[in-house]
Amino acid sequence: MQSGLMNTYEHPVSNRSWVAWALSALLFGAYVLLYFGPVPALGLRFDLLQRAAEALGAALSLPAVLRSKWILYGTVYTLAMIAGGAFFLRRHGNTPYQRLRTASVVGVQVVFAFLLPIVLQVFGHQEYYFTYFWPLKIEYFYPSVILAHPFLIVFWSFLGSLVAFPLLAYFLGKRFYCSWVCGCGGLANTFGEPFRHLSSKSTRAWSIEKVSIHGVLAAAVVTTAVVSLNWAVGKQHPAFAGFAFRVQEGYGFAIGAMFSGVLGVGLYPLMGTRVWCRFGCPMAALLGLAQKLGRFRIRVKKDMCIACGNCSTYCEMGIDVRAYAMANQSFTRASCVGCGLCAHVCPRGVLRLENRPVRWKAGQPIRVDAVDL
Amino acid sequence: MHYAILGNGVAGMEAALALRARDASGRITLVSDEHDHFFSRPALMYVFAGQTSLRDTEPYDRGLYDRMRFERRKGRVGSLDAAGRALVFEDGSRLAYDKLLLAVGSKGRPAPWPGSAGPGLHCFVTLRDLEGLDREANRGSRAAVLGGGLIGVEVAEVLHDRGLRVSFVIRESWYFPAALDRNESALVAEHLRARGVDVRLGATVDEVVRGDGGRIRAIRLAGGGEIEADLAVSTIGVVPNTAFLAGSAVQLAASGAVETDDALRSTAPGVWAAGDCANVTWFDASRRPEQLWYTARDQGRVAARSMLGDDVAYRRGTWYNSAKFFDLEWTTAGRVPAAVGPDGNPVPAPEGERIWYQRVPGRLESQRIVVERDRVVGFNMLGSRWNQEPLLDWIHERRPLDFVLAHLGEAQFDEELSPRFRVHAGAEVA
Repeated sequence: MQSGLMNTYEHPVSNRSWVAWALSALLFGAYVLLYFGPVPALGLRFDLLQRAAEALGAALSLPAVLRSKWILYGTVYTLAMIAGGAFFLRRHGNTPYQRLRTASVVGVQVVFAFLLPIVLQVFGHQEYYFTYFWPLKIEYFYPSVILAHPFLIVFWSFLGSLVAFPLLAYFLGKRFYCSWVCGCGGLANTFGEPFRHLSSKSTRAWSIEKVSIHGVLAAAVVTTAVVSLNWAVGKQHPAFAGFAFRVQEGYGFAIGAMFSGVLGVGLYPLMGTRVWCRFGCPMAALLGLAQKLGRFRIRVKKDMCIACGNCSTYCEMGIDVRAYAMANQSFTRASCVGCGLCAHVCPRGVLRLENRPVRWKAGQPIRVDAVDL
Repeated sequence: MHYAILGNGVAGMEAALALRARDASGRITLVSDEHDHFFSRPALMYVFAGQTSLRDTEPYDRGLYDRMRFERRKGRVGSLDAAGRALVFEDGSRLAYDKLLLAVGSKGRPAPWPGSAGPGLHCFVTLRDLEGLDREANRGSRAAVLGGGLIGVEVAEVLHDRGLRVSFVIRESWYFPAALDRNESALVAEHLRARGVDVRLGATVDEVVRGDGGRIRAIRLAGGGEIEADLAVSTIGVVPNTAFLAGSAVQLAASGAVETDDALRSTAPGVWAAGDCANVTWFDASRRPEQLWYTARDQGRVAARSMLGDDVAYRRGTWYNSAKFFDLEWTTAGRVPAAVGPDGNPVPAPEGERIWYQRVPGRLESQRIVVERDRVVGFNMLGSRWNQEPLLDWIHERRPLDFVLAHLGEAQFDEELSPRFRVHAGAEVA
C-alpha cells in the first residue's frame, strides 16, 4: 500500500466536505481580489491585496518595485509549493523519480519564476519568466513585448515555443514541462496533492476536455494573430484596432485570469488539481499533440492488473488508466502529464512510464499501441 | 437461452461479458448478495484504509449492466435444484436457468481455535467482513492478525495504518514459507518490524481468550504465552463458498471446491464453475482451486466459451504472481519450491537444484533464481519491480543462469531513475 494515502477519503479537506467548499471559496476570493483589484460590486472600493503588499513592503523596508501584490502573490505561491512539496515527498518520496521531479519543479519555481524576476526588477530590468513560453504566456509573442526585450530573450522565447519544446515533448513526453518545470503543474503536484483524486474519470469529462483544451489553443493562436496584425495595420484601421483590443482583453480576462487563475486553482478542492492543465492550458494542448505522435508512453505489464483502481483514482488528469491496464494495453494519452503517480501507487507494479520501446529479445521491439478506449 | 451466473466477481463478470459478446439475445442474470456492482476484491484493503472509495474499485462504469442487458438479482441462494435447473433462494423463491455458472468465490476459512466463536473475531475476504471489522477497528485498540499469508500482511498493514497496535501471529518459523525462503522472509519481517508491527514467528494459537461479556481479551499461544488483544482477524486462508451445494448433484472435492473437467463443467448437467470455487488441474497435476485474480478472469472467459458450446479446455500457464508486503514489492515466476511444507516440516530440495541469491547491499531488496539441471526454472524478486513476461520467456526457453543474469536488467520494471539491477559482490549460488 502507498502509505500516506491512507484516509484520503475520510479527510474533510480531501472529500468535498464543507471544509473543501470553504477552502474553494477562499481561493476563489483571493484570486478575484488579485486579478480584479477593487471590486465595487462587492463593496470593496480599494485594492485590498495591493494595500497589504505595500504595508508589508514598508514594514520590511523592501525596495519600492517589490511592494506589489504580484510579488506578494509570487511569495505565497512559492511558499505553498515548498510546503506542498514537502507534503508530497512525505507521501511519495520513496522513489528517485518522484524525488527528482519534485525537486525540479519546486527548484524551477524558486529560481526562475520567483527569484530571477525579482532580481531583474530590483536591478531595473523588465521582469521576465524564463520558464514560461507562448502560448501559455501568450504575450511573449505579442510584437510590443518582443520589441521591449533584448534579442537573446526573444530568441530564447521563440526557440522554446516553436522548436525545443515540441521536440522535447516528442522524445520525453510533455511531462518534461508539465511535471518537471511548469509552475501551474508544480502547484498542482505539491500544494494540490490532497486533491488529485477528485478529477473526473468519466468519458464525458474526456470528451469535454478534448474540445475545450484545443479550443483554447485555437483561441490563443487567433488572439496572437489578431494582436500582431493590429500592431502592423492598427494605426491605419481604427475599427480593427478596437476589435483587436477587445480580443486581447477578452482572452486575458477569460483565459488568463478566470480560467487559469480563479477557476484553475479555486476548483482544486472540488474538481482536482489540474482543471486548468486538463481543460484549458494551450501549452499542454500543443505539447500533448507532440506527445501523442512521440515516444512517451505508459507501458502495461501483461496480465498482472487486479483492477483495484488506484491508478485511475490518483490520476490528476482523469485518465482511466485501469481500463488500459486491464486490457493489457500500453498507451499514450495526449493529456498525460507524466507525474508518474499511476505507476507509483500501483500495488502490483503493472505500469511504467517510458520514452522508447524497450527491446528484450534481439530484434523484437514491443509493439507500441496507442488506443482509443 | 437463460444464462444464470451465481457470483458478481471477476469470474462471473468476465463470463457474462464473454457470453454477451457472442450471444446478443440470450438472457443473462448475475446473482449476488454482496454488492450491486462488480468491484475488485483485492482492492478491498484500500477501501478499508480510506485510500480509495468502494466506487473507485468498480472496474466498469455503472451503465455497463444496462448496456449489456445484464439482469441482476440480489439475494442469497440457499440451494441448487440441479434436476429442476433452478436456483433456490433462502426466501424460497426460485430462478430457473438453462445454463448456470457457479462463480461463488471464497470465504474466510473458519477459525479452528477454541474461543473463536463470538464477537471480535473477523475475516477479511468479503464486503461484509470489512464492514464488521471497520466497526470495531478503533485507533489505539490491540489487534491480533492470526495467520501469515498474503491476506494476513494486508490486514496487518491496514490495521497498523489505522493506528491499532498490531501483533502478526505466524505459526511457521518464518513468514510465508510457501513462497519465501528464510532470507526473504527475514527481509520482510525486518521491514514490518521497522514499521512497528509486532511480528511473532513460530507462534501457534492455542485459544482465543475471552473476558467480560464474551469480548476477546487475549490470544493464548501454545507453550503458554499470551498476546493481549481487543480483536482478532483470522487470515489462515480461504475456502470455497460452496456449503449450499452440499447434497446437490454438483460433486465437491474434500476442500469444498466444485470438481470440474477441462472445459470447467461440473458433474451436474448444465452447470459450470469458474474462479476461486472451481477445482482445476495445476501444472504439477494436483487438483486445487486457483485463488488468483487473473486466473479467475481467464476461467470465467473459458467457462463462457464452454457454455456457448465451444470445444475448449482451460490450461493453466506457468505460475506467476505479485504482491506487496507493506512497501516491499514482490514478484514471483515459475517454480520456486517451498522450503517448508504445509505441515511445517522442511521440504528437501529437488535433485540438481541450485539457488542463485543476492541481497542488494543497503536496500531491502533481494533476487533469488532457481536453477535446475543448469536451466533457470523460477524467480523470486523482493523489493523491486519485475516484468514477469520476459522471466517466463526465459523459463520456457530453458535459458541457463549466465544468460539470465546477463539479461535480467531488461526485465526490471521499476520507475525510471531507480537503481538498475546488477550482480553484487555477495551474490552466491547454493
